[in-house]
Amino acid sequence: MHTLKLLSAFFKVNVQMSLAYRADTIVNILLNIMWLGWELLSLNIIFNNTTTLGGWGLGELVSLLGVFRLVQMLMVALIWPNTEKFNQSIRDGSMDYTILQPANSMFLVTFSRITVWRIWDLILAIVLITVGINMSGEIVTPLHTLTFILLAISGTIVIYSLWIVLIALTFWFTKFDNNVTILQALLDAGRYPATVYPVWLRVIVTFVIPVAVATTVPLQALRGDLNIQQITIFFAVAVFSFLIATRVWKSGLKRYSGASS
Amino acid sequence: MLKIFQRLWQVNWAEQWQYRANLLMYLLYWLVSPIIYLAVWTSIANAKGNVSGFTANDFVTYYMTLLIVDQITSNIVIHTFGYKIQDGTLSGELIRPIHPMLTNALVNNIAFKALTIMGLLPVWAILFFLFKPDFSHVALSGILIALPAMILGFFIGYLLSATITALAFWTTRSFSIHEFYFALILLFSGQFVPLTLMPKLVQDIAQYLPFQLLIYYPIQVILGKLSTAQIIQGYVMAGIWLVIAIALFNWVWRNGVKRFSAVGA
Repeated sequence: MHTLKLLSAFFKVNVQMSLAYRADTIVNILLNIMWLGWELLSLNIIFNNTTTLGGWGLGELVSLLGVFRLVQMLMVALIWPNTEKFNQSIRDGSMDYTILQPANSMFLVTFSRITVWRIWDLILAIVLITVGINMSGEIVTPLHTLTFILLAISGTIVIYSLWIVLIALTFWFTKFDNNVTILQALLDAGRYPATVYPVWLRVIVTFVIPVAVATTVPLQALRGDLNIQQITIFFAVAVFSFLIATRVWKSGLKRYSGASS
Repeated sequence: MLKIFQRLWQVNWAEQWQYRANLLMYLLYWLVSPIIYLAVWTSIANAKGNVSGFTANDFVTYYMTLLIVDQITSNIVIHTFGYKIQDGTLSGELIRPIHPMLTNALVNNIAFKALTIMGLLPVWAILFFLFKPDFSHVALSGILIALPAMILGFFIGYLLSATITALAFWTTRSFSIHEFYFALILLFSGQFVPLTLMPKLVQDIAQYLPFQLLIYYPIQVILGKLSTAQIIQGYVMAGIWLVIAIALFNWVWRNGVKRFSAVGA
């Protein structure tokens, strides 16, 4: 309850901040639509030349684009702005004030900045996923839909945990401004099913920087490609990585000693 | 003048060298898209034998060449110069008797490129080993003819980016306009896929735009896919666009500087 209240407070502050830059917000939304147009055009170009990509049809890639946009929303709406603020706070010591507050520091650091207008990507993503499913004409059972949603959430948790670990490294190496660039760099690999990539790249996007766990995997569940065992493993990975991330965060926090000392 | 450039080079090289870790991250970030496109298109070509005449090896050689060509012709002027207009630090450079955009920023870009190309070479070698492209049809003459084309392409791209960056004199921030410009490059330059695979309309428009001179045209020259007439036509286009870009930049810059009143003044 406490957390929800904080979250809604953060949300309100961020809405107010973005209202100060209305023109910027409108331009950004237009650019976002332009990129959607480009993404659909590029899919169209690909499927003018083939009927399947790595065993997936056009409809399934449209759905995948929807899931990809969700991860991208996480990146732009939360990860970028909060990382920027966090790096700054380690450098100038304003992290002190965050730790002094009577709330979970990890929560405060990761949710205090929200790029509010990006939330509209959520609607876009849902539309893309639904349209994609309809296009592929597959009969999707409620069970598949449920595992899809749960796996999308657990994939997001995996990426969130990785983010925590990456920024927590800043406690050890103060000058580590590029902490999330690697995440952003490999994010683009989420646009296409991991099955088209050569093995080494597939290993990287599945195990090292697990973008595919949040994009390809939920979609596979929706197609009914995964058995119960695999699904359980992915849930376990999500829980496990969150626990590790919390651990790393805590031991990193112990190393923090302010900027002046 | 030569001495000025020499000194600027020393300063900018030292500055870029200081940020070499950043540079590596940038390189990694920039590498991923072409590799993904390469993987997507080779997987289609392998499944079907060829895509409109393109074999898997054609795609591998195309994108492997693209990695080098794009690194030579692209620029980062929006990132290194845009904020100077925004926060007013440009004032200090404006009182110097040399053009800030055509000397300091230009040398800074070239120093950045020199370093990223040094970083790219080992990565390129690893990719070469992983994808095993067959470059046997590439002739030295193609590379030699493409070199001036790439330098021309760099200057055209640099002046166009500089023009857009200079729009910040009116709008303070020009990142949004630059994002739009970036989309145009993606659509018309051949970065996503060899232009012949794009829809007919896009190809027709791309022919007259400068963006293909940055990527598609030099790649085709290197890979030896163009006839002598087509090569000459490309050079003529590059000449025309260079003149247009110079005129455009001069006009925008001259009017923009007049509007510039540094922040805090």
